[in-house]
Amino acid sequence: MLFIMNFNILLTGVGGEGVLTAQVILARAANLEGHHVRGVQLHGLAQRGGSIPTMVRFGSENEISSPAIMQADADLVLAFEPLEAVRAVHYANKEKTVFVLDDEPYVPVYSHLLNKPYPTLDEIKEKIEPFAKEIYIVSARRMAKEKFGDDIFGNMILLGAAHGWGALPLEETSLREAIKSSAPRELEKNLKAFELGANL
Amino acid sequence: MKSEVLEKAGKKVVLLGNEAIARGALEAGVGVVTAYPGTPSSEVPMTLSRLAEKQGFYFEYSVNEKVALETAAGAAWSGVRSLVTMKHFGLNVASDSLMPIAYTGVDAGLVVFVADDPQAWGSTQSEQDSRYYARLAKIPMLEPSNPQECLEMTKEAFELSEEFEIPVLLRTTTKVSHAIGTVQLGKMAKIESRGHFEKDPKRFYNFRPALQELHRKLNEKLERVCSSELPTRLEAAASAANRAWQFAPAEGARNKLRYYNKIFPGDGDIGIVTSGVSFEYVKEAVRILEINPPIAKLGLTHPISKDLITDFIKDKKAVLIVEELEPLIEASVRGVIERGSVTRLYGKDILPRVGEYTPEIILSALEKIFIRLGSTESRRDNHLVNFEEHKKQVEKATADLPPRKPVMCPGCPHRSTFYAVKKVFGENTTYIGDIGCVMLGAFEPFKMQDIILSMGAGVSIAHGISRVSNQEVIAFIGDSTFFHAGMPALLNYKFNNDRSPLVVVMDNGITAMTGHQPNPGSNSEIKIEEIANALGAEVRVASAFSQKSLTAALEELKEIKGPRVLVSRGECRLLTKRKMRKKGQSFSTFEITDSDEFKKSKLMDDFACPAFQKVDGRYRIDPEMCWGCTVCSQICPKGIRKE
Repeated sequence: MLFIMNFNILLTGVGGEGVLTAQVILARAANLEGHHVRGVQLHGLAQRGGSIPTMVRFGSENEISSPAIMQADADLVLAFEPLEAVRAVHYANKEKTVFVLDDEPYVPVYSHLLNKPYPTLDEIKEKIEPFAKEIYIVSARRMAKEKFGDDIFGNMILLGAAHGWGALPLEETSLREAIKSSAPRELEKNLKAFELGANL
Repeated sequence: MKSEVLEKAGKKVVLLGNEAIARGALEAGVGVVTAYPGTPSSEVPMTLSRLAEKQGFYFEYSVNEKVALETAAGAAWSGVRSLVTMKHFGLNVASDSLMPIAYTGVDAGLVVFVADDPQAWGSTQSEQDSRYYARLAKIPMLEPSNPQECLEMTKEAFELSEEFEIPVLLRTTTKVSHAIGTVQLGKMAKIESRGHFEKDPKRFYNFRPALQELHRKLNEKLERVCSSELPTRLEAAASAANRAWQFAPAEGARNKLRYYNKIFPGDGDIGIVTSGVSFEYVKEAVRILEINPPIAKLGLTHPISKDLITDFIKDKKAVLIVEELEPLIEASVRGVIERGSVTRLYGKDILPRVGEYTPEIILSALEKIFIRLGSTESRRDNHLVNFEEHKKQVEKATADLPPRKPVMCPGCPHRSTFYAVKKVFGENTTYIGDIGCVMLGAFEPFKMQDIILSMGAGVSIAHGISRVSNQEVIAFIGDSTFFHAGMPALLNYKFNNDRSPLVVVMDNGITAMTGHQPNPGSNSEIKIEEIANALGAEVRVASAFSQKSLTAALEELKEIKGPRVLVSRGECRLLTKRKMRKKGQSFSTFEITDSDEFKKSKLMDDFACPAFQKVDGRYRIDPEMCWGCTVCSQICPKGIRKE
């Protein structure tokens, strides 16, 4: 177990199971390493195609109590959709926050309906930069489609990429163990996708 | 995803607050669970419904919360531990029966779980503070702060309920129910799900004069709950930085109720009284600010022990109350303080009464109080940023982003229904909405919910409008909502000879918004058209995935005077998708073959399926997003065809 006081991860993306699965994997991996774990999930209306900020925090029991991350206190933002990474800057700060984000946009219908253009990847980077110590961009969903025929494995590639980048203070063994317990459907593909991301 | 809710006793796992409540119910040996789903309470019944058969308890999704509570009460009166679960508005529906149940009391434990939603994350039309119900019904209320306490307090709620023969309210908020956290599991109890009802006229004939006797007894029970409560003190922590939050009750503590309320002694004469998730925020704030104030953490928030409060505040020059929504604890503390104390009370004068709290709101409030009262220097340098400054930068970075409001899924039957209704009835008709996925019609491009109130309310609101105006009014309602509260409202049309608005029942066969719970119409012989017909309405049934069928039915209904109902039937596409995925099947998708025809159809503006995309000036349908509902190809046959 690595020694940490506390570590705050904000996972964000667009309604679907991928974000929640990633959250549970991180939470279980941290629990396996003996950390005290807290976090937030949102369900219901928020899941209907909306953005879902989801949180995991872990560390020592004396340090971690709130389920929610404090403003500007995220150590890692894991964004499964690039626009949602911008909306996460509330939790980010230049001193410490690492952004790991998928570059494939999921354009909301409201972009067209309300005539609010979807920003380019460069614009997105520019908006995030004042809040980011580092930005790591991964074509996870596209890779998942190419390698596994389904972008559903993009979340595992992104998780692996965050690990490979050194942005996650969790051991590979506990992450793999947590994937086994949380994503048993198509386990082999999930583990391969994680490896693929880790070795980018 | 495989839940860890059934893992072995002693193991530490990560559970959602709601899963921990489910586990707590199993550890209490619950025999009957009834529920009506609603965010943020739904994962309690979702977890338990999967386990009922294997674990040997009875589970049902009831038609509505009132029915659920009465069913659970019947079982508890027959000696079986019972749990009923609902969201905050559900308790409004159930409250009619909750009041007399409190008078009658219970035999086996009866726990009423209610989840509030400050900040309205769910489909929520008010920030109701359900803690008032404990006072109104005169029943004890337990409020956990985190998943571990969710488990413990569910068990304790059953014990409290049985010890005092009284229903107990177990109340959470979104950030407790939807928090995840490390939970140490306890032993599962043996489940007893069979019982026997014993007649007892003294309790169950609740009329005057026996009623007054029941009321007197109820008051006595509450008194006893209060006086049996004995808070135990912790040894003072060695230092603020190394503060021990683990609560260890003192030797010889008088009784088992001692765990509800925890007094953490500290330094100085400024104290904090808090409960629920606010306690978790307070803990983080005192760590960051490096202060060590005495804290009273209330788990039993009704009744609040006057002795406990008096004892806590007696040597304090100031006390800060940290609670979300209404100043209920504050009122209780104020009631004690007014009797001659000089203690200055802070609460809703510096903390918001609207929305949920966040860690930064609590940190700022504590900082303000402790600096103002001269007990600490600003420790802001322990934190990295100035919140106000940071907020301004965030606003700048996020201005003008395309919003991601909730949206109907690709292939949603509701989209097709809204489209057809608007085509036949136009923009100027008054459209009344309802709760659940139906409410997604409120957003662009339809904007067809001029009012959204509560379950089933649209049908009666439409009646009220049509009684006093000649406007065309249409009420939309979902299938589950129709069964829950729509039926009496529809019956009222015929009963009162209404000129009758059109009621559109959007029957997707499931309670979709809250996570696909079954309702009376799911895979069943119960047909909404037969019920509507029996309630006095002229009914047409259309396929939600056929514009032709919808339009024809709507045109016919337009000419009918008197109660009239359209049942627009089409299975929730998300459900269809999941069923198909299990079978290894996928949808046949559609493609745009003629961009000009597609543009002319205005589908992008008026139908707005998330699968439509405009890339470099060309329109396309994203094959990953197309769930094959065929509706767009019906509207634009010249421009769209099956791939």
